Amino acid sequence: MAERYGLRRLNVRPPLREYIRDLMGRWSFIRVLATSTAYARNQSNYLGQLWAVLNPILNAAVYVLIFGILLGVNRHVGNSIAFIVVGVFIFRFIESSVTGGAKSISGKTQLLRSLHFPRAVMPISTVLSLLATLIPALVVMCVIVLVSGYIPGYQTMKVTWWWLLLPAAVALLWIFNTGLAFIMARVVATTPDLDNIIGFVMRVVMYGSGVIFPLAGYLERMNISEGAKVVLGGVLEYQPVAVFLYLVRSCLTQEESIPQSGLMWALGAGWAVLFFVIGFVIFWRGEERYGRD
Amino acid sequence: MTEADAHMDFDLELEQDDLDEEAAEAPIGDPCLVVDDLHVVYRVVGSRARKEAEKGVEVREAQIKPSFLKRLANAGRQHTGGVSEVHAVRGISFTVRHGESIGIVGVNGSGKSTLLRAIAGLMPPASGSVHVSGEPSLLGVNAALMPQLSGEQNIMIGGLALGLTPKQVEERFDEVVEFAGIGDFVYLPMRTYSSGMAARLRFAISSAASPEILMIDEALATGDAAFKARSKARIEDVRQNAGTVFLVSHSISTVEAMCTRVLWVHQGKLVMDGPTHEVTERYKEYVRSLRPPGRRGGRGGGRAGGRNAKGGARKAGAGAGGQARAGAGGQTAD
Repeated sequence: MAERYGLRRLNVRPPLREYIRDLMGRWSFIRVLATSTAYARNQSNYLGQLWAVLNPILNAAVYVLIFGILLGVNRHVGNSIAFIVVGVFIFRFIESSVTGGAKSISGKTQLLRSLHFPRAVMPISTVLSLLATLIPALVVMCVIVLVSGYIPGYQTMKVTWWWLLLPAAVALLWIFNTGLAFIMARVVATTPDLDNIIGFVMRVVMYGSGVIFPLAGYLERMNISEGAKVVLGGVLEYQPVAVFLYLVRSCLTQEESIPQSGLMWALGAGWAVLFFVIGFVIFWRGEERYGRD
Repeated sequence: MTEADAHMDFDLELEQDDLDEEAAEAPIGDPCLVVDDLHVVYRVVGSRARKEAEKGVEVREAQIKPSFLKRLANAGRQHTGGVSEVHAVRGISFTVRHGESIGIVGVNGSGKSTLLRAIAGLMPPASGSVHVSGEPSLLGVNAALMPQLSGEQNIMIGGLALGLTPKQVEERFDEVVEFAGIGDFVYLPMRTYSSGMAARLRFAISSAASPEILMIDEALATGDAAFKARSKARIEDVRQNAGTVFLVSHSISTVEAMCTRVLWVHQGKLVMDGPTHEVTERYKEYVRSLRPPGRRGGRGGGRAGGRNAKGGARKAGAGAGGQARAGAGGQTAD
């Protein structure tokens, strides 16, 4: 009888193409949701939106103090402040995309159970809202990088034409992060326990990606065979997080060890597209189940 | 039965404004919603059904599908946590036509809200299917949009989520604020609203999109008299435009005033489905029977009353006790 009157069945996953079209139609919803959550994040503080910038600065300051000054692990780097600040700011974007993406479905059950829309809106807008908070932080990051060059003992930093590539690197990172958020949203929505592990995994990724100090020197001193060193070095150097850190650093700083590299740009684009497509499909395949548990 | 009637007024939340009102007739058209043997099962992670509860039919330990990832994640679960399943809706089927206005009644925990969510497409069914024309729009008192954001932003988000364009939302903004009657509060975060204000705003938002199927979950209970009149007019609008309205309410008089057909749900099953007065009369009898004679509380009281009746005691509560058994067996009793 349902067919006779042209009724549509609810709760079936729409075909991928239709799903994408529906999602595109919701772009303004994604945008408004992202900007308002970005704004609401710091609204209950006296300093308000200033925290979007203060928070990463304080974070970076701690790492500069401990690793850059007290432990001095960055002797191979010309300007360790710039190195750490870029690393911390960019990694924070990745990390908060993972944690935010993980909660984008499991933490919003109330909203999901009251309104009907393509669920992919949630992870996309989560990452978009993080991007919105990142942009003012990026400006501050650039200023810190420049100013750090005037401190005696640190390599001087100049504004070069390469700086113009920063938006491209951030855009690739944004696509990559959205893919990550898709995967995390699906995984945590099905198995909430994994939410507890994310913190530890991200800490391993942080130290394994050269966020605070370059890994090359440590790899040389490791007590393993040459072959293993080559493999491990390759993995550490070309894994996505390290690639994106490399891209941003190669745009902003003039470290001798980080020259512009076409290979890295190609890899960055590849990782971004790969994660986005795979993540989107993974997320879409669970579409009809979100909000049930 | 005079005493029983006096109590019933309280139990059923009869509201004087709604008494003696009846839902207006609207043209009834083609089917717009077909529900076929619908089952909904909640999965509750981290809470093990107790032994006693397992014996019951509604809550039982979940049988997890043996997908590899899940098996991996669930290894050793027996000792670390549990997954319970709540079988909230158990095999409900019905068909709804354009222009009908349907009330869903039932005692607390009978599966009304879950049924509503499932037919709104928000809770995936465990089995069975829901076929629908158009996009159903559900609004419930629990439907928190974004409590930390202002009413203004919530109107935008809610409107966009319902599929309006930003321009359409702006056009209807004043109308929504006026309908909700919250005035300048619209610029304050929604967490500062009273529950009545929040419910009114949500109703205003979800009915602003003029949906084909409007579902209302207890949302009218918190409004004042003026708001109720406005919402009733809005519901009539929807029905006149060949839309369909679902209303879940504990207030029988509201259901009688707004609905043309009533579904009575009990323990996830459909007990009765028919014209408003037939069903509500039977439902009233049932609820009356649940009411304790004196203050003995809940169903136990009803059964105790039943025993009294067997003993031949002719008290005011005895009649109610007798009906309790008839009501509880309502699926079979004619």
